[in-house]
Amino acid sequence: MDATELPLKAPERLAAVQASETDIVERALIDASTRIPVLMFYTSAIVWLLLGTLLAWLVSFKAHSPDLLGNVSFLTWGRLRPAHMNIMIYGWASMAAMGTGIWLMARLCRTVLRHPLLIITGAAFWNLGVLVGVGAILVGENTGFQWLEFPPYAGLILFVAYAIIMSWAVLMFRFRRGEQIYITQWYLIGAFLWFPWMYAAAQLMLFVVPVQGVMQSAVAWWYANNLMFLWFGAIALGTAYYMIPKVIGRPVYSYHLATIGFWTYALFSSWTGLQRVVDGPFPAWMITASIAAAILTIIPIVTVGLNHHMTMAGNFQLMRYSPTLRFTVFGAMAYTVFGALGILLSLRSIARFVNFTQVHVAYSHLGLYAFVSMILFGSMYYIVPRLVGREWRYATLIKLHFWAAAYGVGLMTLMLLAGGFAEGSNMEDPTMSFNESTLSILPYLRGRSVAGVLMAAAHFIFAFHFGLMLFGLGRTASVPTFLNPVEAEGSETHL
Amino acid sequence: MRGLAPLFLGLFAIFAFSWLGLTAIPNAQIGHLDPEVNPQDENDMYPLPPSGMAERGRHVYTSNGCMYCHSEWIRADYISADIERKWGERRSAPRDYIFARPVVLGQMRIGPDLSNVGKRAPSEETSAAQPGASPAGSPAAPPAPAKSTSSPAPAGNPPNKSASPPSPNQSPAPPQNAPASSPSPEGLPYSAAWHHQHLYAPRSVNRDSIMPGFKFLYEKRRISGEPSADALKLSGRDTPPEGYEIVPTYDAKCLVAFLMSLDQSHPLTEVKAGAAPAAPAAASPAPSPAAAAPAPEAKK
Repeated sequence: MDATELPLKAPERLAAVQASETDIVERALIDASTRIPVLMFYTSAIVWLLLGTLLAWLVSFKAHSPDLLGNVSFLTWGRLRPAHMNIMIYGWASMAAMGTGIWLMARLCRTVLRHPLLIITGAAFWNLGVLVGVGAILVGENTGFQWLEFPPYAGLILFVAYAIIMSWAVLMFRFRRGEQIYITQWYLIGAFLWFPWMYAAAQLMLFVVPVQGVMQSAVAWWYANNLMFLWFGAIALGTAYYMIPKVIGRPVYSYHLATIGFWTYALFSSWTGLQRVVDGPFPAWMITASIAAAILTIIPIVTVGLNHHMTMAGNFQLMRYSPTLRFTVFGAMAYTVFGALGILLSLRSIARFVNFTQVHVAYSHLGLYAFVSMILFGSMYYIVPRLVGREWRYATLIKLHFWAAAYGVGLMTLMLLAGGFAEGSNMEDPTMSFNESTLSILPYLRGRSVAGVLMAAAHFIFAFHFGLMLFGLGRTASVPTFLNPVEAEGSETHL
Repeated sequence: MRGLAPLFLGLFAIFAFSWLGLTAIPNAQIGHLDPEVNPQDENDMYPLPPSGMAERGRHVYTSNGCMYCHSEWIRADYISADIERKWGERRSAPRDYIFARPVVLGQMRIGPDLSNVGKRAPSEETSAAQPGASPAGSPAAPPAPAKSTSSPAPAGNPPNKSASPPSPNQSPAPPQNAPASSPSPEGLPYSAAWHHQHLYAPRSVNRDSIMPGFKFLYEKRRISGEPSADALKLSGRDTPPEGYEIVPTYDAKCLVAFLMSLDQSHPLTEVKAGAAPAAPAAASPAPSPAAAAPAPEAKK
């Protein structure tokens, strides 16, 4: 048993993860110490998720029915949309990612979480920051920079909250046991350090000592891109590196590939970001550099994808049973699609058609939802039972959640991609009036609203199920909840 | 990997590399531009600082999320149809935005690009002359004083958001530095009145528009005495009930002033004009860093 309690050597199937008594007690203690903080993050995240879903619905319907609720200032489309985006980014995804990250970190450092009160305070402040920021957007204090719409004072609250939350990491690392730093920890440490750096850099360059002219846009796009890759993406990939081996009871296929994947991921994806302003008012080299970096992200996409695939190879049937595995593998596959699409969309010959269209919306939902959120859902299905000491009550609800979310995000992505290409090619044809491009997107926008209904159903089902767990209404059982009855396979203990 | 130090250094190096490359170095290159002065005519400067109303209008623009549907940049003619669509005469350059804060380039075109939406607006006189299209504050207020002076209209007019009675000096700043060349007379009549009607009831102007109306930027009030000069001329189902009129709030006027100030038609030496041949400009860089120009040739 190595320090990270994850099998890093070639396994004799399953033997490697048979835990000894002391290990079981130790894990129970660690889980107990993370119970309140992690549940607080998860609960807040899910409340924000529901709120964000309602707003998303409104945004989607208003996009094709512009007169709906249009006469109230704080319900106008241009305010609801950033409110939705920021709730999903800072309320849902960030909080869920931090919850998962904290739990993983405690487990991998093999140390109990010290000073949970600190994290609880941090989480409370973070919620306050999001609340203030969203309120500010709705009353009309949008700063105008995508994903940085919160006014600086809300940003300051978030930053302070984050500094408080960060301090646990330092503590945890001081008390960590074992020398080995597992790949998941790299991603987590990376994300937890990169986020404050990029957030501070963006806030400073936009609001404290604002840069001139278009540089503001460059900074904002640089930030938004890094938030996607170095914050959400890093935590999601790190989580997948933990959950997949853990559930199927096999080590990561190749640790070398994992190393290469990590460094190339960080290096290349942090340089993409300006390809979405192809031919914009910037020096051409900036955009070209971003396109080159986007093309180079093929390396981490292939290495990470291959690694996950080879780890899974031969165990795909387990997705029939394990909710965690099903969500996580869906997310990991979505990362491959998301990455490949990112490369395609960055090419100048394609970007000229899809810039300014709904394709961007499809792309960010593919990243933030199909990739990041699905992996976070998966981690919640794994972690929450260990925190509350109960198992998920209804396998049917988990299945409904999965299929509604998967079909929802799939339909939405397809609708917006197809619609975006139609819209873009009409827009690039100067003989067509601009109205044509607007009209050509409308049926697809209605399709998206249908997809939104599916996703909203998924979220409400999940929230209900989570609520049952929270109030101690889960099943008391020694076996986890399987999606389908398990025919004796021998791997149940790890599902 | 053993130990935190190498990991930490690696993480920091990657972050610093990206920060330097995509923000710090470009900022050194294009972050300190000055307006371009015409060597023949020192009064011909571009761009000019916005008027106070336009500046406030920019915040109305961002706070209502206009940039989620409208972009504000023109691409070159060899990569896009922007110029053919008459959204502009040349591609946008960093120098066009040096006074903009916040810069709202936008990356969606659910609605058309707005980089030059102010250019097509006929001057105040012509639109005032049009019957039925009396723009806000058309009485008197010759545009000359407001034009290109840095003390804008609202200076004498405290931003009284609601129900500020129309006063002569509250006219939206006319399109600044509108080039003598051509406010393309055959173009759409984007007068202040047009903007107000479009903002209030988009589908009364363009049946297929999916823009939300911004009725909350307008005020319905009882006509006492003379109807206001800046009341909206509405027809159909948007018409206010008898004895009432719809007037723009101060925010709406600022928003329209901002829209009408959007104009990138002034030539820049670093940009080859799309339509008009300005060949000598291509090679000679402006006083500030030459690379400020996104040299079109460099981009394949």
